[in-house]
Amino acid sequence: MEILAYVAFGVYALIILLGGLIAVFSRNLVRALVGLVLTLFGVAGCYLLMAAPFMALMQILIYVAAVSIMIFFAIMLTKPPVGGEEQPGRPWWVVAGCIVAALAPTMLIARVLRFQPLASHEQPKEIALMDLGQTFIEPYFLAFELISVVLTVAMAGAVLLAFERRQGQ
Amino acid sequence: MTALSMFQLVSLLLLALGLFGVIWRRSLVGMLISVELMLNGAGLSIVASGQLTEASGTVGHAAALFVMGLAAAEAALVLAIIIVVAKRYGHIESARLRTLRG
Repeated sequence: MEILAYVAFGVYALIILLGGLIAVFSRNLVRALVGLVLTLFGVAGCYLLMAAPFMALMQILIYVAAVSIMIFFAIMLTKPPVGGEEQPGRPWWVVAGCIVAALAPTMLIARVLRFQPLASHEQPKEIALMDLGQTFIEPYFLAFELISVVLTVAMAGAVLLAFERRQGQ
Repeated sequence: MTALSMFQLVSLLLLALGLFGVIWRRSLVGMLISVELMLNGAGLSIVASGQLTEASGTVGHAAALFVMGLAAAEAALVLAIIIVVAKRYGHIESARLRTLRG
């Protein structure tokens, strides 16, 4: 079973890497979005490996279903040049700058991970959904309510921003 | 290598890819996709810390759910902003958006 878990982790990590590379480097925005969806599925698989099936389900419901469709609407409504292509060609110093900017903070954290290893359980904990619900309605009630307010305000603001008055009104 | 550091390395990979993408991408939609990559890495890291250490697992779940909610709100707002920018300027290339007049 142990080996099987490592194999599954490797497969998910590979899916995440592949999807991420497509999402970042694909010139076609729709293809980049498909890469993002691939990555999201990989992360959902990682949640399953960590014995957090509820999080995997939420990941698929919220990210794969809602957020990616919203991004697809963004691509569709802004009518980018045919197929959503981005312009090719960059000078080498832009490429070098991007790599440095991406690696500098990442390498710092990786160093911390390498030299300050945290004690880790080999077996993940099982979380009862009842406990999670209890967490939301007792100690973190205010945060839970506030995030609903944030979501409502964001949605209302989005509608208000993108609202187009009809001609002649 | 412990199980926790393996998951943390995957989330670091997502962070690196997202950071690279935010700078590399020219259109606002591409930048939004990269930001989603980074937020996913954050959620993965939080849940891994909750599940595989002494820290409370329920709090880890709750925090990751908050991250997801905020990501959904952010995506909705950015979508609206992108639509407004596309309407006003006719394109969504970040390098060509230079006007700051109201």
